[in-house]
Amino acid sequence: MKEATTSKIAWGWLALAAVFLVYPLVFQSAFFRDIGVLLLLAAISASAWNIVGGYAGQVSVGHGMFFGVGAYVPLMVFTHLGWPPLLGVPIAIVVVLVLSVIVGMPTFRLQGHYFSMATLAVAELIRLLVGTWDFAGAAIGLSGPAIPRGWWDLTFTSELPYYYIFLGVLATLLLVTWQVQRSRFGYYMRAVKAGERAAKSLGVPVRRTKLFALMLSAAFTSIAGSLYAIKTGFVDPESGFGILVSVQMLIIAALGGAGTLIGPLIGAIILIPLQTATNTWFGGGGSGLTYILYGGIIVLLARFEPGGLVELWNTYAPRRWRSGSHAP
Amino acid sequence: MRKSSFVLAALLGASLVGASVAQAADAVKIGILFPLTGNAAAAGQAAKAAVEVATDIVNNDHPELSDIPLAKGAGLPGLGGAKIELVSVDHQGNPSVAQQQTLRLITQEKVQALVGAYQSSCALTATAVAERYGIPFVVGDSVAGNITGRGFKWTFRVTPLAADFGDAYMSFIADARKAGKQIRSIAIINENTDYGTSVAEAIEGAAKKANIPVAARIPYSASSTDVSAQVLQLKDKQPDLVIFISYTADAILYMKTMKSLDYTPPMVLGDDSGFSDPSFIPAVKDIAQGAMNRSAWDIGKPGSTSYKINEMYKAKTGHDLDDTSGRDLQAFLTLAEAINRAGSTEPAKIQAALKATDLKPNQLMMGYRGVKFDGTGQNILASTYLIQLKGDSYELVWPFDRTQNKLEWPMKGWR
Amino acid sequence: MLLLQVIVGGLLLGAIYALFSSGLTLIWGMMNFINFAHGEFVMLGMYAALLAAIWLGGGPAVFGFASLLALFVLGVIIYISLIRHVMRGPMLAQILSTFGLALLLRYTAFWLFSANVVSMPETVLSGNLNIGGILVSVPQLIAGVIAAALTIAMHLLLTRTTIGSKLLAVAEDRNAAMLMGIRPDGMQALAWGLSAGSAGIAGALMAMSYPWSPSVGETFGLTAFVVVTFGGFGSVPGAMYAGLIIGLIQALSAYYLGPIYKDVVVYALFVALLWLRPQGLMGKA
Repeated sequence: MKEATTSKIAWGWLALAAVFLVYPLVFQSAFFRDIGVLLLLAAISASAWNIVGGYAGQVSVGHGMFFGVGAYVPLMVFTHLGWPPLLGVPIAIVVVLVLSVIVGMPTFRLQGHYFSMATLAVAELIRLLVGTWDFAGAAIGLSGPAIPRGWWDLTFTSELPYYYIFLGVLATLLLVTWQVQRSRFGYYMRAVKAGERAAKSLGVPVRRTKLFALMLSAAFTSIAGSLYAIKTGFVDPESGFGILVSVQMLIIAALGGAGTLIGPLIGAIILIPLQTATNTWFGGGGSGLTYILYGGIIVLLARFEPGGLVELWNTYAPRRWRSGSHAP
Repeated sequence: MRKSSFVLAALLGASLVGASVAQAADAVKIGILFPLTGNAAAAGQAAKAAVEVATDIVNNDHPELSDIPLAKGAGLPGLGGAKIELVSVDHQGNPSVAQQQTLRLITQEKVQALVGAYQSSCALTATAVAERYGIPFVVGDSVAGNITGRGFKWTFRVTPLAADFGDAYMSFIADARKAGKQIRSIAIINENTDYGTSVAEAIEGAAKKANIPVAARIPYSASSTDVSAQVLQLKDKQPDLVIFISYTADAILYMKTMKSLDYTPPMVLGDDSGFSDPSFIPAVKDIAQGAMNRSAWDIGKPGSTSYKINEMYKAKTGHDLDDTSGRDLQAFLTLAEAINRAGSTEPAKIQAALKATDLKPNQLMMGYRGVKFDGTGQNILASTYLIQLKGDSYELVWPFDRTQNKLEWPMKGWR
Repeated sequence: MLLLQVIVGGLLLGAIYALFSSGLTLIWGMMNFINFAHGEFVMLGMYAALLAAIWLGGGPAVFGFASLLALFVLGVIIYISLIRHVMRGPMLAQILSTFGLALLLRYTAFWLFSANVVSMPETVLSGNLNIGGILVSVPQLIAGVIAAALTIAMHLLLTRTTIGSKLLAVAEDRNAAMLMGIRPDGMQALAWGLSAGSAGIAGALMAMSYPWSPSVGETFGLTAFVVVTFGGFGSVPGAMYAGLIIGLIQALSAYYLGPIYKDVVVYALFVALLWLRPQGLMGKA
């Protein structure tokens, strides 16, 4: 029975992968492909957040700090050294790893809301400082290559290359997450989430687990930021480090189902088209209806499906389709 | 829950169907991008209303505005009387959304030209998309220097840019000194997003060149709930002219705080924006008498063209047209005139016509010296006025040779 | 003298921070619940005051009370319709619900009142006082003093009255409180009413000297988070001291370092405090 379920899940993932692979070939319009690119980007950031926020249960409200570093460094190496932005990606990862140790070491002594508040404050602090730092373009921000010098600048005129690059990154991230959650470390994370005291008594290295989870999560969030900056060709303090950037990751992961592999992806599949659609239909009128609907839907979901849409699936889908771990 | 998830599914499904609708064959479609939500929503909404007035001027017969090209007669005569159809989008002040919505306007809505985008950050990403697809983008009001000058061939900017404001202030100071006003030093107070920073840097640079001492340059966050530290600094430094580059709430707060801290500099000069916002005058007219403001827009005497345009705008929104929205209105009229001259909706022909644009001051509703683009797409004849708050409206006071109104110096303020 | 001027300004603003933050700390401490929409309550309090000043006339007593009442009712409604259902769910659902609520409230205000900046009619209160060379505007002085008095009143309400003991009993141990015959639901609804009400009246006091638009809540919300964490979750006196201290730090750093650094200093101190004394100034370890 268990093996049957596992193969069902594998088939489900394969089907999903196939849908993602052919999507831009079915929808040839640049706009729909762009929605696909943004959806993948949102799924990458939310999945990265999910490692520490979902699996390890440490709710960061400041992941924008990693996203922002990831976005800024590639454009900084381009602006100041003339390098292709791509070369900034590994540098950014090193920076966020250091940053996550600085943030994580002291705050992981604490439990509960302190970590949330600390991440929120550090992200705001960095946003304010970058806004006054001339080398980083201060308030005006940094631009990428306006006209590409070669393919290595990754400044494409078509959305298609972005789409498949982002899809590749997402697939890698999900594979890594899948491996991690099956490993001993994954068990540690779930134990920490369930209760730190109990975890400690079972011999789980609580602080180290939290720190590693944060570092892994930060590294992938940084990559998401880099992808954003290379694709958009621009970043300023608000679009890199803003509180909305941090909260967006949290919302998408929580909406889909935090602490599950597919949750952030479901969240992105729902939320990104929803955002685009409401803005496309109601944005031009300027009455703010976009956000009234957006806020309203978030409230309703939190009220009626606190576990995320994954729960909805597990409640209403035919029993044999449900994922194994949630079966009664 | 079943119900709300159904609604969600419906929204999702419908979003994939796309919103483009077949158009009447000869209408010219122009996309406009402004921040209609978010922190700059008030300015974005005003700009959108101004562009709608411009569309009305072009599409309908307005013989009373005969100086303005295309006002007389309905539609675009060069295209057989075709009308302009607007497609408005909200970029929310988010550069990524600006990029996405520009893409939608071009590929889904099939617009023939674009106008926008208020925040310079959004103008930067939106113009890059337009460049990629070869669609003309006319920048109405974004002032950061680097929007033009990136080698783009499809970006045109009608508005003066930050450096022009710096130069204008310095020539005003020179003129005022000649007229016997004492200006020993200036202070620059700027909000610290892209707008305030780029204008403040331009002013500081121009002041250095003109050898005018800057007693203080104070950046601050526009969301501050308390600005008394800045006012106390000013009180301490005693500059003769204080230039505020501020948004609305903070501009009002400065005027109120100056009163509560018993301070009036000889002159306050607002850099447009907050000082031009329709909420500014009603909130502070009793305490900011004589404050100056930058504007290329002057309502003018009853009966004048600009006065009539203002009446149209006022009927629509309930308040006077401000400079920022006026610059968008002018940008839109410039684009419409070029499309008409091109006699075609083909982007390349519109681009060629924009390059050949040569509008004279009397054909404009703004106080530019004309509209003529250089190789980078920047309007080289863009310029600005200075106006002064007298009673409950602004009056043109500079350039001195363009007006009979007297510059009141020092300002009365709240006294 | 200048230093005193800066200090007085900082304390008067800090007193208002203290008032709306004490509302946030009340539910945070009592229900272990983060409310991301608290800044929106302050914003709505400002609009409620404006409407009351236009429709009813009268001074701060009238529109202050109107804001208090309006937001109290809103707080209770929000508790009954939303918070009650998510409060015992996962923490993420709580954050999600109040964040969605913040967007909903902000853009409902946007839709109702437009994005334009508004301010209170000048006739309400104006004028300056010169107290031994220190200049204070009358509205700011009144706002600061009333805010301080109300924060103390809130503290007294919690510590010296039966209702207060019942509220704290529910906070300590919900089940034990139920055994003692206290209805936790009613008490929690009351706490939400008080929380939103204090934000509302703080907004009304703020509105006397500060122009605003619907997006103003974000700033207040972040300030309240910092104040509450600084003061210790759940401690009203903690929020009181922290509010005053943060008002003071902002004013001093704005004057001596420059206004863009005032929030930098606040956040830097905040992070440092989290490392050194994570339980906050007055919080329980």
